[in-house]
Amino acid sequence: MNEVSKLAELRKLLFGMEQALGLQELSPAERDIFYAAADLAERHPNIRTTGLMEHALVSDISRPTFFRALKSLVNKGYLSHASGKLRGYYVVNRRSS
Amino acid sequence: MNRTRPARARFLTEVAITSLCYILASLVTFKIVAPIQDLFFPQFPSRASLLFLPHGVRVLAAWLLGWRAVPALAPGVFIVFAFLVGPTALEPSRLAAMAIAVTSAPLVFWVMSRLGWDASPRPDRMPCLACVMTAGVVSSIMIALLTNLVLGTGLEDFVAYFIGDFFGLLFLMMILMFVFRMMRRRGI
Repeated sequence: MNEVSKLAELRKLLFGMEQALGLQELSPAERDIFYAAADLAERHPNIRTTGLMEHALVSDISRPTFFRALKSLVNKGYLSHASGKLRGYYVVNRRSS
Repeated sequence: MNRTRPARARFLTEVAITSLCYILASLVTFKIVAPIQDLFFPQFPSRASLLFLPHGVRVLAAWLLGWRAVPALAPGVFIVFAFLVGPTALEPSRLAAMAIAVTSAPLVFWVMSRLGWDASPRPDRMPCLACVMTAGVVSSIMIALLTNLVLGTGLEDFVAYFIGDFFGLLFLMMILMFVFRMMRRRGI
């Protein structure tokens, strides 16, 4: 694990603390999908919906909740639809990572 | 040779960042928190800090680095001890206290993982906040007990060490939480 990954893990831990203290604006499903997306984005900037659904953090989330949370993350500006791609591709917005 | 160079550079970076964080947390504790503590609790008999932020650095370093936290923290812990007690930092009891300070948290995380409660960070799961806090509390008790044993201090010091470590971890995590929250909102 490199320095950037360690910082990402520390941010994840404290993101969880925000959630535990009721200060977080994301639901647990949104949070898990966002971190799964951030993890996949480390390997490739364009994240495919199917790839996201197969991520270990997301595998317990039901399909309706997944798509509702994904839409909500786009509306809140955490994720965006990838430009110039077919439907089903997303990018993590640097603003929210 | 070429293969070992990035690993060595990464290790040195780890040591520099972790020790610097420990020294900064100690400076805040002794130069800012301690005078405030003296102001509000002038009758408090122990000289121990009731908000010992370096414990937070110890626990988070142990969580992120595992056993590598021991060499990463060691220079920082030694510098802080030397700053506080001068040349007596090289006395066996002080060296033992330093060893306790750097090894306790990694040992607690290691024992937890052996007992099936693996809290180590992984990209495919959310970190376990309760595990980190539990390890922080257990290592704090361990450090307070063992440090009192080697330095021969009293019960009020044990209680003060424990309170200081626990609130130090909690406070440091809250500071970091708000820093990261602010960074996120500013798009960093």
